[in-house]
Amino acid sequence: MTAVDVAAPAQASTVKTGRFVYIASVFLLCAWVLVPLYFLLINTLSSPEAVTSFPKSFVPEFNLGSLEFFWNFSGILNAIKNSVIVAVLTMIISIAVGAPAGYALSRFDFRGRELFRLLILLTRAFPLPLLALPRAVMFIRSGLDDTVFGLALVHATLAIPFAVLITFSLFSGIPLELEEAAWTLGCDRLTAFRKVVLPLILPGITASAIFAFVISWNEVFAAAVLTIENRTLTAFLLASLAESPLYLKFAGGFILVVPALIFIFAVRKYLFAMWGIANR
Amino acid sequence: MTYSRTLTGAVAGLALLMTGTVVSAETLFWSTQARPAEERQAMRDGVLDKFGSEVDYQPNENGPWLTRLQAELKANDGTIGLLGGLHGELAALSADDLVDLDTLGLSADSGTFNELAKLGAENMQYIPWMQASYIMAANKKALEHLPEGADINALTYDQLIEWAANVHEAEGRPKFGFPAGPKGLKHRFFQGYLYPSYTDGVVRTFASDKAVTAWEKFRELWEHTNPASTNFSFLQEQLLSEDVWIAFDHTSRLAQAFNERPDDFVAFPAPAGPEGRGFMPVLAGIAIPRTAPDMDAAKSLVAYLLEPETQIATLKATNFFPVVAVELPDDLPPAVKASGEAIAKMSSAPDANPGLLPAGLGDMGGDFNRVFVDTFERIVLAGQPIERVLEDQKRRLATIMERSGAPCWAPDAPSDGPCPVE
Repeated sequence: MTAVDVAAPAQASTVKTGRFVYIASVFLLCAWVLVPLYFLLINTLSSPEAVTSFPKSFVPEFNLGSLEFFWNFSGILNAIKNSVIVAVLTMIISIAVGAPAGYALSRFDFRGRELFRLLILLTRAFPLPLLALPRAVMFIRSGLDDTVFGLALVHATLAIPFAVLITFSLFSGIPLELEEAAWTLGCDRLTAFRKVVLPLILPGITASAIFAFVISWNEVFAAAVLTIENRTLTAFLLASLAESPLYLKFAGGFILVVPALIFIFAVRKYLFAMWGIANR
Repeated sequence: MTYSRTLTGAVAGLALLMTGTVVSAETLFWSTQARPAEERQAMRDGVLDKFGSEVDYQPNENGPWLTRLQAELKANDGTIGLLGGLHGELAALSADDLVDLDTLGLSADSGTFNELAKLGAENMQYIPWMQASYIMAANKKALEHLPEGADINALTYDQLIEWAANVHEAEGRPKFGFPAGPKGLKHRFFQGYLYPSYTDGVVRTFASDKAVTAWEKFRELWEHTNPASTNFSFLQEQLLSEDVWIAFDHTSRLAQAFNERPDDFVAFPAPAGPEGRGFMPVLAGIAIPRTAPDMDAAKSLVAYLLEPETQIATLKATNFFPVVAVELPDDLPPAVKASGEAIAKMSSAPDANPGLLPAGLGDMGGDFNRVFVDTFERIVLAGQPIERVLEDQKRRLATIMERSGAPCWAPDAPSDGPCPVE
């Protein structure tokens, strides 16, 4: 960091350097996320020849050939629909189960509380391929096999530990006194929760919902084993993409990324609200 | 607040989603082959669409493929109608779980393939479906660096090394490419090409003096190999991007290069060593699990896939060659023409030394491959002394052979009982 050494003596220039470093790091962080996405976009919109050539142009040539291939790829629209349904269900289930568990962990003192917290993490200790076989057998026997709901259950078990831990720390950050004050003013436990605590933790809930969404969106193995007709996008595309030519890899990757990006954009204001809490 | 309404909506939605799977008349074709997006689409649109009834072609990675199948077998309730996989993948299944297919009266032209398809049992457990092989491919720019007097269709390993060295020197960068990536098929090169060419065996000769020479030669070749090869799994990509000028790989993993720029590349046979020109086929088969929901539909699909026209359509879709006698049309894609000619030259070469696929290993096929991959990594990547590594790995190999009880296969001399590691 030569810039810092040179600018050290005068205070004004220190501030300036600080600003410079600040802006540079913001710029770097943005580039870290955006540049790969931008290259993904360029290559998606390039002809196969342009994808393998070097150096790359920074302006896409708007060749829609690769995207068109996927547009005509039988079953892809259905797979996108399934992916969205499974992800939304996963979100609902993991919040519905995870948030009360997080609340209980932070507010009530019960026997085995620490053990319980550990056990929740343990559900992530076993690799999915190991669990997939008995699960698939169970699903086939119970009729849950090849339904989006069945798959959402599996994804929810993956997402719940995170939901519990995130909401646990959120609830712990909200003083019990706030709730007690509400009780003294005539709220019962439920209304106090709804009117006082819930608005405060909503951003946190959104964060864990996004987590659940992304976990479900990215999960391949269980989806590939447990669904056949109702495949999710990831299961549908990933096995094919790994061995496809480069230009289809880019286009397929683009298709996998875009819906998740749209979702995150749609809920981003709740996330920013959460950072607002953290600053207070 | 409308909590109750939201809740009712959610419950209703769930109930709707849970209303079980619709029983369909489609036959589910559960395969590990033709996975790349274009091949999969071609299988659906060019091959299976002309079969009388609906077929749902679903290619999968090996892991989910096997797990799903095992789950259905265990639950005794299946949706998979037809299995497609490589010989090694089908061999890992128990013969009891596959339906005997002799009654169909179908078989491949090659008696060896039909014998392999019995998986050590009395009857055909799968029907050979399609075949491929491994060949060499080169960018035409590399041809001027061929060693003097070398015939590209009758190269020796020494000439290949010299050629790669010439290109290395001229270009200042190593330009030989080898599929040593995580998904690369490197182990097949050792089992079917390097070992047979240098030792006239695979298992018996694993740690012989000749094997030491083979690994020494491969080390020499590695000096002129693009070091990024440990990331290469589909050499067509590196041929097209020109990171590599000379390459060894599976025919269908080179196909895109020939199809996109047919005038820029040549295909040619694998090189020969002191014991001949070793090479190995790739065999894929189709089988019916005992839990198939509609046995008759599955069987007629098998028969359909073995028809000559279907076999040609499959060749165009996947770059895998027919297993029955067919008359090849003229309008084949460039990759099929190029690789077909290279394979023909390879198998008709006077010094041809064809090997067979490992057989009788059952579910230890993966461990068997592991031995060769580990040996490669230790000798070539880690630079450990060849004799010591071979001595170590020899013990592992011997254990695998004894546990599986697999007898020797060509080019190893036949054995009574498990193939010995000498």
